[in-house]
Amino acid sequence: MKVSDVLSYAFGAIRLRKLRAGLTTLGVVIGIAAIVALLSISQGLQDTITEQLQTGFATDTLIVSAGGGFGMGPGAMTATESDFKLLINYTQIINELENVRVAVAIIQKASYVKFGEREFILTIVGVNFTKYTNIYSSTFVAETGEIPLDPENETVVVGKRVSDPWKNGTSFCDVDDTVEIIWTNASRLPPKNETYVGHVAAVLKEIGGFSLTGPSDFSVYIPISQAQSFFGTDECDMIIVQLENDDEATIESVSEAIDEAFSGQVSVTSSTAVLDIISSVFSTVEIFLAGIAAISLLVAGIGIMNIMIVSLMERTREIGILKALGMKSRTVLLIFLSEAVIVGLMGAAFGIASGWGLANVVARVFSGGGGFMGAGNHAAAAGRMTITPVLTPTVFLGALAFGLIVSVIFALYPAWRASKLKPVEALRYE
Amino acid sequence: MTTPVVERTNVKKTYMLGKVPVNALQGVNLKVEKGDFVAISGPSGSGKSTLLNMIGALDKPTEGKVFIEGVNVSTLNDNGLADLRRRIGFVFQFFNLIPRLTARGNVELTMSITGLGRDERRKRAEGLLETVGLKERVNHKPAELSGGERQRVAIARALANNPKFLLMDEPTGNIDSKTAKEIIELVMRLNEEKGATIIIVTHDQQIASQAKRTVQMLDGLIV
Repeated sequence: MKVSDVLSYAFGAIRLRKLRAGLTTLGVVIGIAAIVALLSISQGLQDTITEQLQTGFATDTLIVSAGGGFGMGPGAMTATESDFKLLINYTQIINELENVRVAVAIIQKASYVKFGEREFILTIVGVNFTKYTNIYSSTFVAETGEIPLDPENETVVVGKRVSDPWKNGTSFCDVDDTVEIIWTNASRLPPKNETYVGHVAAVLKEIGGFSLTGPSDFSVYIPISQAQSFFGTDECDMIIVQLENDDEATIESVSEAIDEAFSGQVSVTSSTAVLDIISSVFSTVEIFLAGIAAISLLVAGIGIMNIMIVSLMERTREIGILKALGMKSRTVLLIFLSEAVIVGLMGAAFGIASGWGLANVVARVFSGGGGFMGAGNHAAAAGRMTITPVLTPTVFLGALAFGLIVSVIFALYPAWRASKLKPVEALRYE
Repeated sequence: MTTPVVERTNVKKTYMLGKVPVNALQGVNLKVEKGDFVAISGPSGSGKSTLLNMIGALDKPTEGKVFIEGVNVSTLNDNGLADLRRRIGFVFQFFNLIPRLTARGNVELTMSITGLGRDERRKRAEGLLETVGLKERVNHKPAELSGGERQRVAIARALANNPKFLLMDEPTGNIDSKTAKEIIELVMRLNEEKGATIIIVTHDQQIASQAKRTVQMLDGLIV
């Protein structure tokens, strides 16, 4: 029997039992859709995070902060709570190390920021504009105005979303506006409100997403010298170190050198290490998610088997007729397997389509909504991520193949039983 | 002398009905030549159906030999039996048409099993349905046809692969006597005009009397 005839016979048999075939297919659709949706969302999420980390967190930089934490230096783990303070002028020590291009200290504090009548809590970042511009030359860039490279006066640079929080042109502040930053100094009694009146010199161009250490759309930047006197401190929250290159050996040796210089009282984090951790976490999560989805496909497979065994009983007589007409056992087997292949293929195709649709809907729900000043104004710190689901060819073909393989495997037994029916007995079957 | 279409020597068949062995055939000898029209008749349980299954290569004998076209059925495997069945035209008491296929689809199915091309088998199916007088009913499904019409479709289907002989199991057992008469006339015409070899199993003595030769069976033996 020709393959096309086998297929058209199998297709006819499926069409006869539309509801049943539809429900069987639905099982496969759900399984495949779950796999595709989960994998494409997590792939999209990973891409987004990786990409944003790479922009806000150049690969040739190290972050030095006080104390233990999640550093990678040998001393980092043993460092205990101590009165070690990371001072702003430590950048000089780091600058002298080999392979270090530039080190920049950052002071970061949450403060009230007043734009006329409106008042919000935002992150104030004190940083040397010149050095910061050097390290983040692609993200710390002005859209309007100009970042002053040698600011002595009370200058302010704001992130794009601080200026235009709802992405609709409603402007909270613009170049040449005056903003008032109010910080409550709680280290002395009674606490005192310090006020910094700044003049907006530049609005950064949009960076997108969030950032751990690099420039962010939601921050307000002031010169480090101003921050130092405003916050009344010589301490900084972190020192960002830019290296000569992003070779692993360089990252390793500089990390160790810094750790040594501060006798293990700082933690040094490299961006590549963070990226590695993130991608390994993601692959674990992906395997886990795919495993859960695979279980649903397994259930679908058992459904296929169940349906085919029932169908086999119903069609015993038909199989007897086919065999009496001279159909070979192999052809009977092929007919039953073809039915499974058709169900598997349709299920996989619809599954991939609906999984992709689902992923897009979920992504939209997650990344939708207004700006940072929506429900809680402190959302500013976290920012908003835009997830674009990614359907890689591997996931596409894998899902297709998986749906097909599951269908065929679970159809093997019923198909084999059908092919082994004896014509005399099958014909006698009522 | 040509090879007989069917030759059976001392055939015995025992099958198990639950745990009880039943000796359905106890040594049967039969020879059918080309162009013959043989009626096998006998009461229920006389072994007619078992004999028919054996002639139709649906089953193998427990003892003795069945030759179809000179080939010993016992020596064939599943595939060989399937090949042999393609050269036998079956007509069953309960028609055994595939319900979801049209009259033409049922006739075509037999030819698609042997791998005949689409256009060719369509043309041939229509020709055969015309021969059995169903020219106007080619696109009807079995459920839309009367018993007699269904049996005509079954006969057209049996003829589709140019069989060596037609094997009919109570072809009129399930249709009214008037239609049965028409079916028998059709079968006789096929035998006389086209020289088709026909083996018909029936317990209807009237039909058996129309055949060129009648074989009477009783208790697994030809009498």
